[in-house]
Amino acid sequence: MKQEFLTIRTKETAVRVQGSDIAAVRVKDITKKGVRVYQDGTIGIAGSVGDTPDAVLLENAQQNLSAGIAYPYPLTENLKDHRCYNPKPMSSQEVVEQAEQVLRVLREEYSDFTFSESISCQEGTFQMRSSAGLDLEYKDSYFAVNLILKEKATANLFDGALFCIARNFDADKFWSFNRAFLEAYRNKVELPKEEVMPVFMWQTDTLLHFLGRSLHGERFARGSSLLSGRLGEQLFSEKVTIELNRDPQTTGRPFFDTEGVVLPNDRLAVVEKGKLIKVLTDKRTADAYGLEHTGAALGDYDDLPSIDGPLGSSLSFRTDSANMKEALQGRPAILSIIASGGEFTADGSFATPVQIAFLFDGERIIGKLPEFAIRSNLFKMLGEDYIGTFDNTNFYFGDIATQLQGYYMTIVR
Amino acid sequence: MFKFPRDLYVDVRIEDSVDTEIRFKQRTLQGQKVRQTKGALIRVFDGRRWYYASTTDLDSIQAQINSLAQMAEPNPHILEHPVVKAFEANRETLLRYKRNSVTDVSLEEKQSLVESILRKIADPAVVNHSSYYVDNRTVKSFYSSRGAALTFDRQICGMRFHLDIVWGDNKDQTSVSRAATTFEELKGFKEYFLEEMCKDISYVRDAEPVVPGEYQVLLSPEATGVFTHESFGHKSESDFMVGDETMKAEWALGKRIGGDLLTIIDDSTELGAGYTPFDDEGTKGRKTEIISGGILTGRLHSTPTAVALGEEPTGNARAVSFEYEPIVRMTTTYIAKGDRPLKDILAEMDEGIFVDTIKHGSGMSTFTIAPARAYKIEGGKIAKPVKIAVITGNVFTTLQEVDAVSQEFRVVSPVGGGCGKMEQYPLPVGFGGPYTRVRKLQVQ
Repeated sequence: MKQEFLTIRTKETAVRVQGSDIAAVRVKDITKKGVRVYQDGTIGIAGSVGDTPDAVLLENAQQNLSAGIAYPYPLTENLKDHRCYNPKPMSSQEVVEQAEQVLRVLREEYSDFTFSESISCQEGTFQMRSSAGLDLEYKDSYFAVNLILKEKATANLFDGALFCIARNFDADKFWSFNRAFLEAYRNKVELPKEEVMPVFMWQTDTLLHFLGRSLHGERFARGSSLLSGRLGEQLFSEKVTIELNRDPQTTGRPFFDTEGVVLPNDRLAVVEKGKLIKVLTDKRTADAYGLEHTGAALGDYDDLPSIDGPLGSSLSFRTDSANMKEALQGRPAILSIIASGGEFTADGSFATPVQIAFLFDGERIIGKLPEFAIRSNLFKMLGEDYIGTFDNTNFYFGDIATQLQGYYMTIVR
Repeated sequence: MFKFPRDLYVDVRIEDSVDTEIRFKQRTLQGQKVRQTKGALIRVFDGRRWYYASTTDLDSIQAQINSLAQMAEPNPHILEHPVVKAFEANRETLLRYKRNSVTDVSLEEKQSLVESILRKIADPAVVNHSSYYVDNRTVKSFYSSRGAALTFDRQICGMRFHLDIVWGDNKDQTSVSRAATTFEELKGFKEYFLEEMCKDISYVRDAEPVVPGEYQVLLSPEATGVFTHESFGHKSESDFMVGDETMKAEWALGKRIGGDLLTIIDDSTELGAGYTPFDDEGTKGRKTEIISGGILTGRLHSTPTAVALGEEPTGNARAVSFEYEPIVRMTTTYIAKGDRPLKDILAEMDEGIFVDTIKHGSGMSTFTIAPARAYKIEGGKIAKPVKIAVITGNVFTTLQEVDAVSQEFRVVSPVGGGCGKMEQYPLPVGFGGPYTRVRKLQVQ
């Protein structure tokens, strides 16, 4: 009977911030374990929160075989890959000291704002081992600043945020960027009167979620995806390449899926130069529908693997453009920092409020804009209205590579 | 039970929960798991800072207390600290679900309930479907150096069906869910699931893109719940107000927020997803009227926020799990029912939008509702279905725009997901209300 063991260990020191000061310190050390056993084409799974002995979990997983859940697919075997992306995580003491330094500057120089939420260091170890020679391990650690910012003069729940996620925190870069950023918060500007404007998004979660649902192999095969039947078609601008991205350098997540699959160079294009070439599949979906297996399995440590589609969490855009200022050719643009609560309709129409945005010239943030909304459509955003996906070299949100993506969008006031 | 160090406040929250999840892809079983989780959060307070530790090793709780105490500074006057003085020291055992626990129902019976509905999904427009049954029973124990000693439980079970529906070029993914507090109650909802699936199938077949603009909007009880939660509920969480004079002035008790017909309640004693008989600081749950007849009359508190604002704790200090400390959260939040029949309210609407079910919502200065099923209202009747990406409004002004609430009323508990507040997601909450009409909202 083949056996697989998944172990996730998370350690954290979090400084809780209220009123720009430290209110609490939280330490956490949590282990989660899952065990899978395979027999006669079926799978049995057991899991626990806490360091439960493997023997106990193995017995529970063997009992779970009686549910008769089919899993007749070849397991990933004889593959060893151990990676550590940050061998020197901050100690708890260093986190508290760093937080005190950051908050001291904010209190002294930006007393017209209050800051709250957290400054933390998180360490994670993800392991997947099997009795058939699979031995994968991903270790990483980040220092993270997640502060929400409120202007003392407003009655909003919050007016902005300071973000930073870094394996090696660079205080000089942090302050150089955030001083300019906070000055821009103080400089209120009006929304230009244009009906359509270039909008650069820092976070593209809503778009990636919708693409994930549309690229979901089973939905694609069953005909319920917006993209069903369109394999090989030119869907978007030739500049657009969308990848299954398991590179921890840019994602901060494991380099393997929950079936132990490691992608060559940690990436696999599903949309290349605008053309749909693959969809997202795990082993079961690839087998059931005769689709190419793309290593897109997701699931909790004690779940049966399923397709990583609905969240779009492993998709990313390949950087395709280099110079935002040149792309704008002197036109004013919007830099959206928080656009939350929006959604796509089934046919690809998109709308979202933009809660925090700045007027932007392609290089510098000019001033903070009032709230507004934007509207477009998937095929326009990534087609005729697509400006490009750029490496974010302008703004320091830490040393994990981030991107900015631009499109022309209808502005709703 | 524990040896609490002198000159510090200490509390310990232990959670013992059992979760069941049974998953199907079409009619094939895809997962059947029972997960038991035991963990604890320990808090130490020295009057200046809090120190928290979260652990799954329950044998190490005393060691964790001692370790946190080393980080803190002993304070001989800690018992005189206003927050410590305000902590309730309740001592009670309240195991409401001991005799009808979902853990006593066999996996076969739970699986069979889902299968009984799956057998009836036969419409060819449903090209694929997946479903799951979930339940959770959690027993919490809470002990504090002030003398609290509590043991209580909460329970929820539910089913969710995801449908992939295709009618020619019209295609969409929809979902139908319903929760209950006991398995027996859940068994009574079979017809509900099938009726809602039929509505989804018709909706996908006929829905047309909405013409964006400002509309009068009628919200179903489910949509009213999300609207209430997002448009005002988060504003009533008082941690946003502590130390903020502008917020205190903007949300001063006694201020008119809406019309006379508007009453908003947060009730932690309501059975369902938001049921919180004691919060995670040991404060007894209660019904808090936040808005009464349009006037702001209350807000939601933990003990520290109540002390900071000179008000009473309301039992709203909740943590998403033992991994986190309690913060101010909603429990079950709803608009109180009115006295007008829905048909009369609808008859007054020449043109508008009816939001029947929702995908999600969010609430900052602008709140959002992403409808799943929505319809045009024409000539006082619910007419053709429309596709809407998002409905938005301003939290400061929209409650003034509520101009009708129905006598029909329902509170719902979501299955899957929950409320998110910064890092703590998903917290189970309940929400609901009457059919509610809003004069104008942005529809896109």
